[in-house]
Amino acid sequence: MHIPDGFLSTATVATTYVISAGGVGNAVRLANKNLGEKQVPMMGILAAFIFAAQMLNFPVAGGTSGHFLGAALVSILLGPWAAVLIMAVVLTGQCFIFQDGGVLALGANIFNMGIIGGFGSYYIYKWLNYLFGDSNRSKLISGFAAAWASVLLASIACAIELVVSGTSPLSVALPAMAGVHAIIGIGEGLITVAVVSLVTATRSDLLKLQKI
Amino acid sequence: MKHSFLDKYSDGNSIIHRLDPRTKLIATLVFIFLVVLLPSASWITYGLYFMTIAALIIMSRVPITYIFRRSLVVIPFVLTIAIFIPFFKDGIAAFSFNILSWHLSVTYGGLETLGSVMAKAWLSILALVLLTSTTAFSNILKALEHLKMPQVLVMIMSFMYRYIFLLTDEVMRMKQARDSRNFGSGGKRLWQIRTVGNMIGTLFIRSYERGERVYASMVARGFDGHSRTLDRLYFGKCDAVFIAAWGSVLALISLFNLLY
Repeated sequence: MHIPDGFLSTATVATTYVISAGGVGNAVRLANKNLGEKQVPMMGILAAFIFAAQMLNFPVAGGTSGHFLGAALVSILLGPWAAVLIMAVVLTGQCFIFQDGGVLALGANIFNMGIIGGFGSYYIYKWLNYLFGDSNRSKLISGFAAAWASVLLASIACAIELVVSGTSPLSVALPAMAGVHAIIGIGEGLITVAVVSLVTATRSDLLKLQKI
Repeated sequence: MKHSFLDKYSDGNSIIHRLDPRTKLIATLVFIFLVVLLPSASWITYGLYFMTIAALIIMSRVPITYIFRRSLVVIPFVLTIAIFIPFFKDGIAAFSFNILSWHLSVTYGGLETLGSVMAKAWLSILALVLLTSTTAFSNILKALEHLKMPQVLVMIMSFMYRYIFLLTDEVMRMKQARDSRNFGSGGKRLWQIRTVGNMIGTLFIRSYERGERVYASMVARGFDGHSRTLDRLYFGKCDAVFIAAWGSVLALISLFNLLY
């Protein structure tokens, strides 16, 4: 779902850049308040972790393979602003190292996968966990739903940007993006659940870190 | 360290490699901006832009096949979204056919939009591939810092870049261990996903602990939240000439596009 350059109109590029710059700026401020100078090594290494984790692919139907995105996992473990910060750093790296996603589209990509993905999954996780009564089992169910929704919400945001930019009509962009990502999201959800259950089993203290 | 896929060819030695990273970054951004601003279906202007970027690629002496292969990264996105555009735009039908009970027609307007979007995306990606295969990532970061990106972000990114190599090595080792235990050929899909999840979980715990250790050793060496690096960026005569030439070529193409 990394949007390349050329797909978005100037107005969409400018709007998403302003929102993402504000979001990332606030994330930096909050992380600095909570972590102090620990922010730099911690956020940097966790961004490298997302980068490396995305290299692990697993088979999906029809000979294609999927990989993990990570926004939901980071926001469940470390909080939504940490997710915004880490995803922004990862996406900028992917843009300049792999050309995955364009430079002018970077604002939109950070908005979709960092801000929408991070905040969407965090609040869905919190709400469902509250609803199911904060047990280990409810953590897993809410983790699955939050991770699935993070991928779906990000793809819907992406579709809306393409429609607003006049690149693609709504009747195409929305079903195509949402449909594909509703399936991809299942893999993301299952992996997030597996990670959360492993962390619960081995280092449950990491689940109780202060959220940013 | 066994991965040459990061920063490949960025240590070459050509006129383009020797330019100041700030020059290259700004030149690339201006190029992409102008390409994205172009109205759709200005085919001749797309061609002119392609010739200018192709000339730079040849000057950079980076293998053309490599640049071409890297530029194909846009394909998955185009396949999932853009390929449907011609079928749904209103306009005069170019041709139409029936699949089962569906009547599909491809319109000229739709084909034009698809072609323009793909041309713009490809031109932008060529410029970006050229920038990154002639400039080391650490230099791009330095250029970004000089262009007023917040220092904290630049520091986090340079940390990420340093640890990508280490963590990728770790992932590759885990992957090798996984694949040598017949991961790909047997087992239920749910079991496979669980395995990948456990690997990522282990990687997360290790990365988190590594972060704590790295921080502790940085503090022990007097880290106070700021990084001080030697600044070796140098804006020379070559850069001035390049900027003047690049600027006038782009201005000429824009002028041509306005008049034509």
